[in-house]
Amino acid sequence: MSPKPKHMTTWEAQVIDTFTHIQTRLDGAPHLLRLGRLFSEIVLIEVDGDEYYLTFDKGRITSVVEGPSRKTPWRFALRTDADALSQFWQARPAPRFHDIFGLVKIGRGRIDGDILSLVKNLRFFKEVMGLARASEEVAA
Amino acid sequence: MSIEPITGRYLTVTVQGAPRRIYFEEAGNGRPVLCLHTAGADTRQWRHLMNDAEITASNRLIAFDMPWHGKSLPPEGFETEEYLLTTEAYIETVLAVIDGLGLDRPVLAGCSMGGRIALQLAALHGHTFSGFIAIEASDFQPAWYDIDWFHRPDAHGGEMGAALVSANISPFAPNAERWNTLWMFMQSGPGVFRGDLSFYTKDDSLIPRLPTIDTRKTPVHIIVGAYDLTCTPEDAKRTADAIPGATLAVMDELGHFPMSEHPDGFRPFFVDALDRMPLQAAKAA
Repeated sequence: MSPKPKHMTTWEAQVIDTFTHIQTRLDGAPHLLRLGRLFSEIVLIEVDGDEYYLTFDKGRITSVVEGPSRKTPWRFALRTDADALSQFWQARPAPRFHDIFGLVKIGRGRIDGDILSLVKNLRFFKEVMGLARASEEVAA
Repeated sequence: MSIEPITGRYLTVTVQGAPRRIYFEEAGNGRPVLCLHTAGADTRQWRHLMNDAEITASNRLIAFDMPWHGKSLPPEGFETEEYLLTTEAYIETVLAVIDGLGLDRPVLAGCSMGGRIALQLAALHGHTFSGFIAIEASDFQPAWYDIDWFHRPDAHGGEMGAALVSANISPFAPNAERWNTLWMFMQSGPGVFRGDLSFYTKDDSLIPRLPTIDTRKTPVHIIVGAYDLTCTPEDAKRTADAIPGATLAVMDELGHFPMSEHPDGFRPFFVDALDRMPLQAAKAA
C-alpha cells in the first residue's frame, strides 16, 4: 500500500527498528493492551520531514510503514526532529525532552489532527512512545 | 503494622457567604506551617513531609483540602455550578482556615497554584504570615493546553489530566511516587482540575503586585524543579527577580510536584526553605 522507500538512510532504518521494537514491547505489555483496547487508528510520526505510519488495531501495532503516503488516513500526528526524538528516548532525558508535550513546548514537536482521539488515549499513546526508552537501570 | 502520626479532622468556615466543610491534616509541634496542595490534587501530596519526624519535631505541618478537592465537599448547590476558582475565593479560603484553626502567623508553603496564591498573600496579607515557601510558583502562565479538554463528556478528565500532568514529573521520580501522585489527578472530581487551572492560567493580577512584597518582614523563598514544564526555572527566576529580596532554589532532578513525586529529593530543599523562615512568629503588633 505504501511505496517502498527508495533510499533508506541509517537514521530512517533506526526509526523503523525502534518502532518495531516498540511493537514487540507493546505485545508484551498487557496493561497497555488493556488501556488501548479501543484504539484502532493510524498515527503519523514525522521525523525531520520523513513520515512513518503506525497502524494500531485494538491497542496492538500491526504495521510500521515508512511514507510518504497521501492515501493513508492517519488520525493524529506527532511531528518532531531526529535529535529531539533521540533525546526523548534516553533513559532519563534532559528537561523538556522527557515528554512529548515538552517537545511541543520548546518548539521541537507538534501534534495535529484529531486531538480528541489523542486525548481519549493519551496515557496509552504516551506510554507506547516511551517503550523505546532504555531502562532506568542502565542509566542509573 | 504502623500507624502514621498524621491526624485528620474537619472544620467548617464561611467563604463567599456560605459554609465550607474543610478537611485538614496535621502533624508535629512548634512553628505552624500551612501547606497548600496543587491544582487537581489534595493534602496527600504533603504526607511524606508530615511523616518526617525530624521536620515535625519543631514544625506543626498543617494541610487542608480546598473545597471541591479531596475530602472537602463542594458547596451546597454545586450540581448546577460551574467550578471556577478565583484569586479572591482562594485567598478568602486560606485566611478562613487560618482564622478557624487559630494559627499565629504561620509559614505558608504552597505548590503550583498554592505557590501562586502564596505570593498573592505575600503581597496582600503579608502581616498574617511569618514567611512564604513558594514551590513551582511564578507570576503567571497562560495555558499551554486547552483546559476544556479536562472536562467534557466524551473523555475521562481524570485519566486525561493525569496523562497530561505526567509531563511535569521528573524521570528521576521513584515510580511508585510518580503513580501515587498521578492517582490524585485520576480521582479529581469532574471539572475541578479545569476550574483550578482557570484561576492559574487566566488571572495575571499578581504581576504588578510582586514588587510590593516586603521580604524584610516576611521572607519569600521560591523553589522550582528543572523538569517542571508548567512553571519552568525561567518562570520562577523571573518571578523571584521581581520580588526584592526573594531567594530562589532550582532542583535539577525534580518536577512540578516535588513533595509528592520525589519526597527524598525534595526534603533537603524544604528543610533549607524552613531554615530561611523565622523560627518564631513575631508577635503581632
